Amino acid sequence: MTGPRATGETFASLVKGQEFAPVEFQLSADWVDAYIAAVDDGAIRALGSDRVPPMALAALAVKALIQDTRLPPGAIHLGQELSFPVPVEIGETLTVRARIANRGERQGWALLGIEMTVERADAQPVMSGRATLTFPLGEGVEG
Amino acid sequence: MSGAPRPGDQLPALTKLVTQEKITRYADASGDHNPLHTDPQFASSTQFGGPIAHGMLVLSYLSELMTVEFGMRWLRGGRLKARFRGPARPGETVQVSGRIRRADDASLVCDLECRNDSGEMLITAEAEVPFA
Repeated sequence: MTGPRATGETFASLVKGQEFAPVEFQLSADWVDAYIAAVDDGAIRALGSDRVPPMALAALAVKALIQDTRLPPGAIHLGQELSFPVPVEIGETLTVRARIANRGERQGWALLGIEMTVERADAQPVMSGRATLTFPLGEGVEG
Repeated sequence: MSGAPRPGDQLPALTKLVTQEKITRYADASGDHNPLHTDPQFASSTQFGGPIAHGMLVLSYLSELMTVEFGMRWLRGGRLKARFRGPARPGETVQVSGRIRRADDASLVCDLECRNDSGEMLITAEAEVPFA
């Protein structure tokens, strides 16, 4: 991926092709436990105590995206595509990468398509996906 | 389901209660503290009229349904394509259900949906599971 880096900005200022700075995370047991409790997932533990729900990787990607770039209040998630080529386990160190795949504006609202990947240290992808978001443009909508 | 999955087979439905506590927990885990989810005063000024759950929180219920039904197959190559069609609000019970649309030697494709207790559609999705 190439393009200008998105750090310390708001989503409203992002442009097509812009990249988010890669963010590295360790999948700690505490964070995974907190995620499983939040989503009330009663199925994942049956597959093994170290298993991580695949959607946790998507949450991790969101966490990375909004770490340095502010999401406008009132932002709405319209669509999501995700694929999980391999399972991950607690303790793994992963890197989230993302870029603005497309951007449009209509009737005072911005529409963003964001491509995301989560990969291991050896660059093996463990999740890839695309989020479609919309949020209001204009004064007073960013807090 | 019993035996080989076939087109038309229903997946066992999953029911979840959405609460503000779960929304707050999800906000903490994901770092997404958008006030649309966590600030009733702000949320009441939006078109939703009050707080709504993160779409990814509700989408996780669809993934859980796939985990229940397909286990490690879902974790080893699952794909999900979803559209968020309506908000889930705290206090609502949502039901996730699905049906197999296509099955062959390589994979199967399911149509999933999530509705609230008024029957309103919240999410529609297509999920693919490798079946080799």
